[in-house]
Amino acid sequence: MNHDLDKLPEIYERYPRTPQSLIAVLQDIQKEFHFLPTEALKRTAEELNVPLSKVFSVSTFYNAFSLHPRGEKIIRVCVGTTCHIRGAKQIQEQLENHLKIKAGETTEDKKFTLEVVACVGACAMAPVVAVDETYHGGVTVASCRKLVKKSKKGKKS
Amino acid sequence: MVSLTINGRVVQANKGEMLLSVTRREGIDIPALCHHDAVEPFGACRLCMVEITKAEWDGWTNYVAACLYPVEDGLIVQTHSSKVNELRRTVLDLLLARCPNSPEIRQLAAEYGVTQTAYEEIPDADNCILCGLCTRVCERLGFKAISTVGRGHDKVVAPPLKEAPPDCVGCLSCAQVCPTNVIQYEDEGNKRTIWNKSFELIACKECGKQTITRDFAEALSSQRNIPEDYFELCDECHRRELSVKMGSIVSWSREAAS
Ligand code: SF4
Ligand code: SF4
Ligand code: FES
Repeated sequence: MNHDLDKLPEIYERYPRTPQSLIAVLQDIQKEFHFLPTEALKRTAEELNVPLSKVFSVSTFYNAFSLHPRGEKIIRVCVGTTCHIRGAKQIQEQLENHLKIKAGETTEDKKFTLEVVACVGACAMAPVVAVDETYHGGVTVASCRKLVKKSKKGKKS
Repeated sequence: MVSLTINGRVVQANKGEMLLSVTRREGIDIPALCHHDAVEPFGACRLCMVEITKAEWDGWTNYVAACLYPVEDGLIVQTHSSKVNELRRTVLDLLLARCPNSPEIRQLAAEYGVTQTAYEEIPDADNCILCGLCTRVCERLGFKAISTVGRGHDKVVAPPLKEAPPDCVGCLSCAQVCPTNVIQYEDEGNKRTIWNKSFELIACKECGKQTITRDFAEALSSQRNIPEDYFELCDECHRRELSVKMGSIVSWSREAAS
């Protein structure tokens, strides 16, 4: 896999080189590469003077971090109680079929990762599907396919 | 000094001391799986729960982890009241579901009358109770080679990247403190393997017995300023050497005196 680790030094420049910067640095790495490459974890441990075990512990603790490549866009289907009642399951299945992956997986072209989350705190708009930071409410089986199409286009422009 | 009552007996304790260290000194047996004197109390296993009250509490009681509760003047403690035992049984019931094959947990649970868990046993249980003793001890020693990985349901103790841990020196401290003996290692000839990492064991220059790993010796001598050749002898041969030295000093001083 080709991830440009040359970008790392610039990320380290953004924060004080102290253990306290660990999460901020990992967040930036995650954003840059869409996951945390092994080599980046090792470099981060050295740069911030944090034991590698701690870096690994933190990177496996938070859901925001991933050790495996994720898609450019993360589609999260809320399956919390309210969304569940309003058909989240069908929406999840629809998206799984459409993207040809299961929840938790990434499409082969690395464009999308599909995830399910247990409540995004927007029950009034249920059922909710979030594409990265954008929350879409009142999603239907028909409209969720369009969402995928739209965000594909959004990427290009 | 602080004065408190434990199981009806008045006992003295030092200010700032935790309840568990007082009950231990008094010879009271309280299960405490996540506690070790070498590291700070952690409060992970909840087996050391005891009942506390005070005269002015008007009959109200509270339940606290003895390993984490500093002694107070006038505290009245029950270490094995029926409510306390019930709490421990609940914890043991859960632990038994988590570690159905651990002889240590089975035995402790049986002492409290729990022989069969009411919960569903975990399939492929690894017997780790996530007490954190191994990671804390390793950290305390300054190696910080292992940590907890993941969270919630999937949390385990593991080396970074689940590969042979680069910072491990093979001291075995983690394996030795583990209350359920989960951490496997193997000593074979002059080779030790733990966490999938192999180490060379130093053989005593005098008697040939294996002592500690080369990595541990190097770490100790640089961290604590111990001469490196110190580890070329085993403890026994060190003692022998010392006694010979002492002997010669004694005979030398006798000669000098006569
Ligand atoms: S054997 Fe390795 S992991 Fe275990 S306490 Fe020693 S250094 Fe840490
Ligand atoms: S491996 Fe042993 S010492 Fe480490 S957390 Fe699990 S039970 Fe505790
Ligand atoms: S010994 Fe107190 S909680 Fe484990």
